[in-house]
Amino acid sequence: MAMLTRRGFLIATGWVAGGATAVYAFRQRATAVGPTIIFPNQESGAAWLQIRPDGVCQMYFPRMEMGQNVNTGLAQVVAEELNLQTEDIVGITPSTSDVPPIAFTAGSLSMTLFSRPTAIAAAALRERLRGLAASQLSLPPAALLDAPGGFRTAAGDQLTYADLVDNNNLMVELDADQPLPTLYTFDAERKKTQVGRAVKPLDIHALVTGGPVYAADVPVAGVVFGRAVKPPVRNASIAQLDTSGVADVRGFIKLVRDGDFVGVVCKTPSAVDAAIGKIKVDWTLKQPINQGEVDRLIDVDAEMAQGDLEQVLQDKAHRKATEWAIDLRFDVQTQTHAMQEPRAAIARVNESQQLEIWTGTQDPWAIKRLAALDTGLSEDNVVVYPMRMGGGFGGREHYDVELDAVRLAMAVQQPVKVQWTRQDEFTTSRSRPASAHRLRIATDADGKLTDWWHAYITGHVFLARDRLPGWLMPIARLDEDLGVVRGAIAPYGAPHQRVECKDVDFPIDLGVWRSLTAAPAIFAMESAMDELALQQGKDPVDYKLAQLAGQHPRLRNCLTRVRDKAQQYDLPPGAGVARGYACGIYEHRCFVAISAEVQVDAQTQQIKVLRMCCVQDVGMAVNPGQLRAQVESNLAWSVGMALMENFEIGDDQIKSSNFDNYPIPRMADMPSVDIEIVDQPNIPPAGAGEVAIIAGPPAIANAIRRATGYRALRLPISYADTTTA
Amino acid sequence: MKLRVNGVERGVDSGWQNENLLVVLREQLGLAGSRYGCGIGQCGACVVHVDGAPVASCMVPVTQAADKDILTIEGLAAPDGALHPLQQAWIDENVPQCGYCQSGQIMQALALLQQNSDPTDADIDLAMNGNLCRCGTYDRIRKAIKNAALTMQEVS
Repeated sequence: MAMLTRRGFLIATGWVAGGATAVYAFRQRATAVGPTIIFPNQESGAAWLQIRPDGVCQMYFPRMEMGQNVNTGLAQVVAEELNLQTEDIVGITPSTSDVPPIAFTAGSLSMTLFSRPTAIAAAALRERLRGLAASQLSLPPAALLDAPGGFRTAAGDQLTYADLVDNNNLMVELDADQPLPTLYTFDAERKKTQVGRAVKPLDIHALVTGGPVYAADVPVAGVVFGRAVKPPVRNASIAQLDTSGVADVRGFIKLVRDGDFVGVVCKTPSAVDAAIGKIKVDWTLKQPINQGEVDRLIDVDAEMAQGDLEQVLQDKAHRKATEWAIDLRFDVQTQTHAMQEPRAAIARVNESQQLEIWTGTQDPWAIKRLAALDTGLSEDNVVVYPMRMGGGFGGREHYDVELDAVRLAMAVQQPVKVQWTRQDEFTTSRSRPASAHRLRIATDADGKLTDWWHAYITGHVFLARDRLPGWLMPIARLDEDLGVVRGAIAPYGAPHQRVECKDVDFPIDLGVWRSLTAAPAIFAMESAMDELALQQGKDPVDYKLAQLAGQHPRLRNCLTRVRDKAQQYDLPPGAGVARGYACGIYEHRCFVAISAEVQVDAQTQQIKVLRMCCVQDVGMAVNPGQLRAQVESNLAWSVGMALMENFEIGDDQIKSSNFDNYPIPRMADMPSVDIEIVDQPNIPPAGAGEVAIIAGPPAIANAIRRATGYRALRLPISYADTTTA
Repeated sequence: MKLRVNGVERGVDSGWQNENLLVVLREQLGLAGSRYGCGIGQCGACVVHVDGAPVASCMVPVTQAADKDILTIEGLAAPDGALHPLQQAWIDENVPQCGYCQSGQIMQALALLQQNSDPTDADIDLAMNGNLCRCGTYDRIRKAIKNAALTMQEVS
């Protein structure tokens, strides 16, 4: 792609001509493979916003929506800087042809990385408009005071943005060496009108009226339907293929075979089901698939018997032989995303021989590059229209359903819609790998931590197969997998401390799942600390606070407050009812503490989480409403991880196929919740999408320990487990 | 073959009579608000009303819906666009996260309130048990149903 000038680029996109526009263009280029990692920085931001001649502010939304509703938060930043109402901002999700590549939406980094560049662009626009207003009135800019939607003078004159902006293009660019305008968003002293307000998602109306917002909803003329046969693992190859009878299906259009890809195109969805049902494939697997193989691969004790694990993440005067107060092994299950929307994509080749793709993806620019590589088309001839996702949770970063749609559409030269079935969604899952943890802790006579040794084995996460080209993988894997090590370092300090891990190649596909390894690792650590406190006859919260003394004040604050909050509620009477606590730090800047009340009911033979309280501190609370929603979601996922979900691997197949055999929390499983968001106006906002899940599962496990004496060493926990204590 | 959808008579092309009701609504009639989630009636994303009863439209052969009254999420608001109290309550409680399950949730909640104008938590747990929300908006759904129940009592 030729580098256009910024002005040229905006005109080329069909962005409304006329009006005033603030631009921070990206200067970096995307690499062809791997995720799009062009994040905004001080010099190259991500905001395209414009005041149209009618005074309306519109912005290209730089983030992909999957439930976090983060663009609404960025619109709040724009509204704060420009003295507008957030609800009046018009947001547009750009196609890959509208703007240069923007980093993929992942890792709960959107507010952290995009809020400041967005604020800078909006503030630069505001100050330029203030200058225009000043020259119109022949006053110095300082005489123009902020007013809703414009400026005013001390004498009472008003100028709105519509008065200032005309049909001549006015481009506002900020170079790196220019001083920054005042950023209202980050001014802790300022009484804010937009930031800090619980603004509802700007597109909420469409979500309650059944609007066509997801990929499969897009009406495309002449569309036909297709699907591909899904192998149990992506590196499988076809040993034997039987397609007899497929062409006899009523409505059949075409069978497409391309190496290990087999798919069909038909006139209706039921014909696709029938045709796929007739295709029989024997797959050749590179590794046998079964649960025993996974268990063998992650057997941390067997590996430790052979010596040190591959990656040493922390090593501080480590002592191998000492008197261990705690020496426990924790096993955490494989889990899948199970987002509510099974993936779908529509592809067509248009009259200009351009390949168009409608899809819900965390990384539209990667889809564009990979579709170009896949088809041999130039990148200029591929356009991706990103649609809202019905959930993401880390599972939608790859060229997956898009590949099916693209290959089938190219083969029939007709628009093809591919709607994965729920079983396709499970079979193709890039799951959160199971893990096994050995945790050893020693203390002095007063109970103070002296030794901490955490060793664990899990599957690859960021460096799972297919996430990078095959030739690059061995080189990448020489370094640590940042997904595998996420959350591994404990907040508790000890003079002797070692954390080591190993990541292995699972027989099934793996990938990024909400919080990566942090939730499993912190489940193990917080369970072990709870057990240690009980062993010493101490209150677990008091004990943890004592071990955190002098460190991590934001974490201690969360833990203290969540105890106060939880104790406002009387535990219901009866046997098997108790409360447990856990806390944790995610990505060094997100702090959370959770209490869980559980009832282990001998009559119904069920474990029920009655109530969860959560105190979370992720810095500035730009939109407390959305932060709260993310916590609620993490609490629901905590119940699923602790008590329900288990991705089942059968013999050379994936056994979990639908919600009947992979149960996720339902309405009756959802506890009452009481959530407090700690606002830190002086600390830049961090993401909340995958924070509370680090402390929820251990809080539930610790409550079960209190209620029954059973220390959960394996997830998910069933009622039967608690009776074998 | 004809369907009566949201009060309007709609024809179904002959090539589509082997499909389920959800597919016909979405792909033939352009009513994409009912969503596909599991295909086996386990998630509730596709709930519509057939002759006043909530059903998982992915499980209903379209031929079985012939000549019946079908209500989908698109038919819930008034013709002038005024939202149904349930839709308004969903906005007031800021229920949706990803939003994918919410059409089905609202249609299921409508069936509940038509049977029971003042549901308890236990009533809601029972009635909504077939509607999954992976984002975990359940607590807000509960509140929104109760709010809508109040509004609907005031109206009636």
